[in-house]
Amino acid sequence: MSMQAHAESPAHHFDHPEPTTFLRKYVFSVDHKVIGKQYLGIGVFMAVAGGLMAYLIRWQLAWPETPVPGFGWVPEPYMYEGAIPPEFYNSMVTMHGTIMVFFAAMPILLGAFGNFLLPIMVGAPDMAFPRLNMMSVWTLGVASLVLIASFFMPGGAAAHGWTGYAPLSAKAAYTGVDWGGTLWILALALEFASFLMGGVNFLVTAINMRAPGMSLMRLPLLVWMQLTAAVLFMLSVGPLVAAAIMLLLDRTLGTGFFLPERGGDPLLWQHLFWFFGHPEVYVILLPGFGIVMEILPVFARKPIFGYRSIVWSTIAAGALSFIVWAHHMFVSGIDARLATPFSITTILISVPFAIIMFAMIATLWGGSIVLTTPMLFALGVIATFLIGGVTGIFLGSAAVDIYLHDTYFVLAHFHYTLFPSVILAGLGGLYFWWPKMTGRMLNETLGKIHFWLTFIAFNCVFLPLFLVGVGGHHRRIYDPYQYDFLKPFQPVHEFATMAAIVLILSQLLLLVNVVMSLMSGEKAPANPWGANTLEWQTDSPPPHGNFKTVPTVYRDPYDYSVPGAALDFLPQTHP
Amino acid sequence: MTTEHSMTAPRELGKLPFGRAGIWWFLASEIMTFGGLLGAYTLQRISHGGWHAEMQHLNAYIAALNTLFLVTSSLTIVLAHQATERGDRVRARNMLWVTVALGIVFLCNKGVEYSIEFDHGYFPWTSTFWSFYFTMTGLHALHVAGGVVWNTCLAIAASRAIWPKVSHRVEYAGLYWHFVDVVWIFLFPLLYLS
Amino acid sequence: MAQNHHHGANPYVIWVWLVVLLAAGFIAFAFHLSTMAAVLILFSLAIVKAGLVVRHYMHMYDQPVALYAIAGIPVLLMIFMVVSLLPDIAFHSIPPVPAAEAPPH
Repeated sequence: MSMQAHAESPAHHFDHPEPTTFLRKYVFSVDHKVIGKQYLGIGVFMAVAGGLMAYLIRWQLAWPETPVPGFGWVPEPYMYEGAIPPEFYNSMVTMHGTIMVFFAAMPILLGAFGNFLLPIMVGAPDMAFPRLNMMSVWTLGVASLVLIASFFMPGGAAAHGWTGYAPLSAKAAYTGVDWGGTLWILALALEFASFLMGGVNFLVTAINMRAPGMSLMRLPLLVWMQLTAAVLFMLSVGPLVAAAIMLLLDRTLGTGFFLPERGGDPLLWQHLFWFFGHPEVYVILLPGFGIVMEILPVFARKPIFGYRSIVWSTIAAGALSFIVWAHHMFVSGIDARLATPFSITTILISVPFAIIMFAMIATLWGGSIVLTTPMLFALGVIATFLIGGVTGIFLGSAAVDIYLHDTYFVLAHFHYTLFPSVILAGLGGLYFWWPKMTGRMLNETLGKIHFWLTFIAFNCVFLPLFLVGVGGHHRRIYDPYQYDFLKPFQPVHEFATMAAIVLILSQLLLLVNVVMSLMSGEKAPANPWGANTLEWQTDSPPPHGNFKTVPTVYRDPYDYSVPGAALDFLPQTHP
Repeated sequence: MTTEHSMTAPRELGKLPFGRAGIWWFLASEIMTFGGLLGAYTLQRISHGGWHAEMQHLNAYIAALNTLFLVTSSLTIVLAHQATERGDRVRARNMLWVTVALGIVFLCNKGVEYSIEFDHGYFPWTSTFWSFYFTMTGLHALHVAGGVVWNTCLAIAASRAIWPKVSHRVEYAGLYWHFVDVVWIFLFPLLYLS
Repeated sequence: MAQNHHHGANPYVIWVWLVVLLAAGFIAFAFHLSTMAAVLILFSLAIVKAGLVVRHYMHMYDQPVALYAIAGIPVLLMIFMVVSLLPDIAFHSIPPVPAAEAPPH
């Protein structure tokens, strides 16, 4: 039995030697830091693709059926000399949602930041299962390829909306897309498999591989939020996997699980989808918040306000997220007796998030705030998520939702929750941890210009859409102006589209900044921001195995400006 | 170091071995997947009035025999695990091979059952009941096949030099195999008996 | 750690119980009971059988609390989901829409 006990010690699980060949080091790497960067590469690539689709969608909404600048080269039948036909518009809407949620947000927030930071933050040399980790990133790569391949199938990519509502998605004839829809299901299934493997790794690493002294209540909040997100994903995705199998058989074998004329039930798909779909929102949101939680105390030079209440709020929000899903279905013909309980739980879930928001603001209160680029992004998250969260309370009550459902109000609402948590927090995290990832600093001035352009342009795109939505403008309409009552909204759409173009173009500043940093950036010290968590107590970038000796943790992660201390920060390794 | 260590809080939950924690997290997501499928079936069955007529066409005798095989294979993998813990490598290997054989017999039996149903003209697209029947048993059979592959790998490893490094995986393969057994324990009455 | 790990019940005895319960379920099936009785008896037997496998074969009689949470929470979630779907999927009881022509006072 001693043999077996040895086999399960952390030393056994970190048995991979430092790789020497290029292939082993950068391609088939089992090092969590390299895998994190691979996730980042996949996520950013897919985010660019999703962003260009957003550009196409926005152009069509502002100037329907006119050639989209820069897209004249796309062959028929996808586009006609740059103009978007309705089928392609449907594909764009579907793929924009699918890509942004599953192939950009999750790889960047969970895959990249989670993989890179979680082991270092808990003081571990690597993930618990390094080879499983490699398999998960490669599965995601294959999933991305399958999704991209679906564009080149006869009929194009899936066109049934990112929620894949049946029966539209259950029969190829309904959308005119045959293989595209089937490959869409396969790509999602592979993506789920990838993040299930990743989730197992996150949970076991954060629970079993903590450095001596790293008790649960000393974990950085990012680790807590990544952990909660991993649990939510692993426990919610099952029913959707079952539903996806059923949908796949409906499409390929001709079963009738979701086809009413065959005795199936389309509502069942919606229930199973949203049972996953709502926790999924928090799978994306919580890691984004985790990044903000790490940035705020560092640049406010203050301990985080209410660490324990944030931890318990995170867990409570995660638990509640499993019992709110039917609020996506108030107009789907669900039983009226379900609507009220789900309204109540939905509004209840705003309580833990309100606590988290208050804790963020209270952390800033009386702090010595340093407005660096990461801090600006973190503050941007607070400002914009507030709007997204508050509009969510409107939509949570069934009576209001029945009017606003599927309008641009809903669209603006979820872009106001997901854009801050994915793009703003993701960019903030990138500016914050870039020195740690690459060993080079980014340019602050460029970063600040990038922030302001992104922040202002984002608000210009989506704030007007709330008004359009309350005006009764439904989403997913190919040409809104075929309806007389929507014609007055055209100037608003034109404004939003121009802002969207600015938003996309302003991301080029990041590209310039990153290239400059890699070519000639200032060398980053180990702890450029004066931060306490463990990743800043090792080299930039961290060596193979992360730490030269196993760190011992003596204190909380946010001991800033401790009275009587020599420095205004006390690292977790400080006795 | 030791005095410093005692000043710091201990690591909670660290008692759970890595592999066991990992496999249980995996099983948790599997519970949700099979739960979703079984739940969808149960709900649809109530709304369709019970599907009693369709169920008459299933062969409960073959299925009962299959249950016996699967339950017995659960016993043999427990014996394999016990033998591994005692260090009795030969018995562990033999018991793993018996488990593999029982899994293969289960799959063959399932194939016979499917072919009888196909002969009678029942296909996955025949009706909602048959769709559920083939999807649920098919997904379960895929899991059995996966377990057979895993157990075969371990049985082969038991005759090789690598065994001391991988023998702790018998426990994890066993946990997975028992889970597949438990799924069948619920599928059997849901589909064949009630 | 694993040396003082006591082994619980004899696995052969558990197997005999599983086979006996399987036979009991099959005998109940042969009697062509009413649906309600069949569901009650067969599912009680299935739960007992699953409990035996989980408790003795999967060693759940002796595990850290965390493991009970990992295994138990999904089961509870699943039960919650199925119960909340009962009105929509199983019973289809959409309340009648009030007649449009009945004007309010």
